[in-house]
Amino acid sequence: MTPRPPTMREKRRYILVRVDPAGTTIDQKELYYAISDAITALWGDSAAAIVNAAVVAAEEGHVIVRCQRGTERELAIALSTVTGYRDLRLALRLVAASGTMESLRARFRKTKRPVPAKQPVPDEACPTGAEAENGEREAGFAGKKFMIAECEGGKVDVIEKGFKNTNRLFLTTEDLEVP
Amino acid sequence: MKITDACVCPYPLGDSTVRRMALEAGKLGFDSIVAVDAQPLDFAGVRVCPGILIRDTAAKDVISRVKRGRDVGGVIMVQARDNGFNRAVIGVKGVHVLCGIHAADKTAFDHVTAKMAADNRVAVDIDLSPVIGGRGIVRQRAIHRYRDILMFSRRFGFPLTLSTHARSVLELRAVREIAGLCSLLGMDEHDVEAAFSGIAAVTSPADRAVRVIG
Repeated sequence: MTPRPPTMREKRRYILVRVDPAGTTIDQKELYYAISDAITALWGDSAAAIVNAAVVAAEEGHVIVRCQRGTERELAIALSTVTGYRDLRLALRLVAASGTMESLRARFRKTKRPVPAKQPVPDEACPTGAEAENGEREAGFAGKKFMIAECEGGKVDVIEKGFKNTNRLFLTTEDLEVP
Repeated sequence: MKITDACVCPYPLGDSTVRRMALEAGKLGFDSIVAVDAQPLDFAGVRVCPGILIRDTAAKDVISRVKRGRDVGGVIMVQARDNGFNRAVIGVKGVHVLCGIHAADKTAFDHVTAKMAADNRVAVDIDLSPVIGGRGIVRQRAIHRYRDILMFSRRFGFPLTLSTHARSVLELRAVREIAGLCSLLGMDEHDVEAAFSGIAAVTSPADRAVRVIG
């Protein structure tokens, strides 16, 4: 079968979206279902069919969502109603829209944030934390000990130590108690 | 205070500290936020106004709590209930915002309440959390109620405020996203702009009808 000529193909737009919180492991398929569900819930099946959204790429805390040209507004509003998938809470922050994936990738490379690593957070990034015996950075807040999950640009995401409460708290370096 | 999120709930009510909320809000395009039970603060270029949220309280107790709140300073918000309660609360001097109208009775806010709100310069809060997080009938009811409020606001001229009631930084939304969500309620660009500065409108001293000169 011969491919359809470019002029007869559907016109598409691509939206670059940042996934918060930083360090979230993105399941492309699950995220697609969450976005699809949000579009259907907000605009209905017929509009969802016109938007024809798809998650076409997911890398380093960002995803590229595809839609039909002219439906960016509907998609953007629907994306702001996505609050998570399964038990994972997240927020999708719109960064840019473009007609090609390549230009979004170029933009993404420019605004790329450091890769969330499992290695200990360096001292200079998060000066108020203290290193625990197992190499993880830990910090105090509200009289409790927390493990630092992410630390970037003054933002610190922590998880309480222990097995009972594993919810993330969102702090800043100024909130941390000096050990 | 031109672009304000009219209500956020930082730690310990939520999982994000007030500084983190301010930092994120600044990045999302806000210049100020109203944080429930927080201290006044300027952080990362964002002004944090303390908010006092009064709910599940009888009308007569609201008066004493508002009096206490006025001494402390900050934005005083009262959770809407039935029509009689709302009328009584709007008449109390010192109340800035009537919030949670989407969860109140269908008849909780009528033309008389709207006129009173306009006369007493009390804003009605549009809480976007049911529009963002709600699905099905919850969201439909909220949108319907807000459309009704918007109609009254255009007719009687009482201020509106926009809030996310975020308990986490993940529940905050960018100014552009909020404008998009408000378009679902029938608000245009000017309505959204006016609603973002609704807190400034109700907290600034009112212009006197008559000014004595000399």
